[in-house]
Amino acid sequence: MGVKVNLHLTLRSHANGQETVEVEGRTVGECLKNIVEMFPGIGPKIFDKKGGLNNIVEIYLNHQSAYPNELVKPVKDGDEIHLTMMLAGG
Amino acid sequence: MLNAGELKRYDRQIMIPEIGRTGQERLKEAKVFVAGAGGLGSPVAIYLAAAGLGTIRLADHDTVDVSNLNRQVLHWEEDVGIKKVDSAGEKLRRLNPHVKIEPLDETITEENAVALASGCDGIVDAMDNLATRYILNKAALDLNIPFFHGAVRGLEGRVMTLVPGKGACLRCLHRGPVPQEKFPVLGATPAVIGCIQATEVIKYIVGIGNLLINRLLIYDGLSLTFTEFKVARNPECDHCGHTITEE
Repeated sequence: MGVKVNLHLTLRSHANGQETVEVEGRTVGECLKNIVEMFPGIGPKIFDKKGGLNNIVEIYLNHQSAYPNELVKPVKDGDEIHLTMMLAGG
Repeated sequence: MLNAGELKRYDRQIMIPEIGRTGQERLKEAKVFVAGAGGLGSPVAIYLAAAGLGTIRLADHDTVDVSNLNRQVLHWEEDVGIKKVDSAGEKLRRLNPHVKIEPLDETITEENAVALASGCDGIVDAMDNLATRYILNKAALDLNIPFFHGAVRGLEGRVMTLVPGKGACLRCLHRGPVPQEKFPVLGATPAVIGCIQATEVIKYIVGIGNLLINRLLIYDGLSLTFTEFKVARNPECDHCGHTITEE
């Protein structure tokens, strides 16, 4: 059992339409890097050129905001990450 | 006091035990600032007017474009080219003549936001960009009134209610500037989100239920799910962080 990552609507097309992906990792950052290895198209959508999160990305760990310093937050088997995007329309 | 016409009009609402006649009178006495008369502003203003919210101050600087009509249901074919606040004001008055509409043909800025919302019991976020949302977030904190946040894109939307001193504000999650875009949207998406915002406003005014304080609700229309996330105040927040020690 690994960590379940729920992909945002806009990321699913880069992951063969999957809504969730199961990955291994000790931190949120490791889990996300593993997702990008599996689905490289997700990389530029969530990371900036320096490897930090894009400003538009929001991460929730077990339904709680992981902000700030999201990438270093520890995770364990059975945890759940939601990868979401800030919305601006109205 | 509610007159005979109002008692008849709001009968089904007054029947709700949590609202009753007292709650309906509170709604009549209330004044709310709806910032934007577009996709979100339309359902919010329609349902607040229908519910008998006493005064709706509605601000928008734009004119109606035919490309608005898939979602901005206060504006119709014959309104293309006229000011949104005029189009919206006319419909809302026809919907409920007991409600006072204060249309403001204004661009919301850092300089005027507090003045525009002054005297109101809350600010409804019906904007189409994050920059103005943050301006309104700050104005709500300065005025010590709630900010009813809503935002949409495509088939997705989100809602959160910010009450100064009681939870996170919109800026607490801010990481940095986000580029503005021409966003895609299905008309039903702001309808879903706007109706939830209107429900939050009514609950706040009447003083009932649990508000979405520290609770971000995300609607995914594609999977048809609602997911709730807990958020917390950020002590480093440049809008509300300085007030945390006062709680």
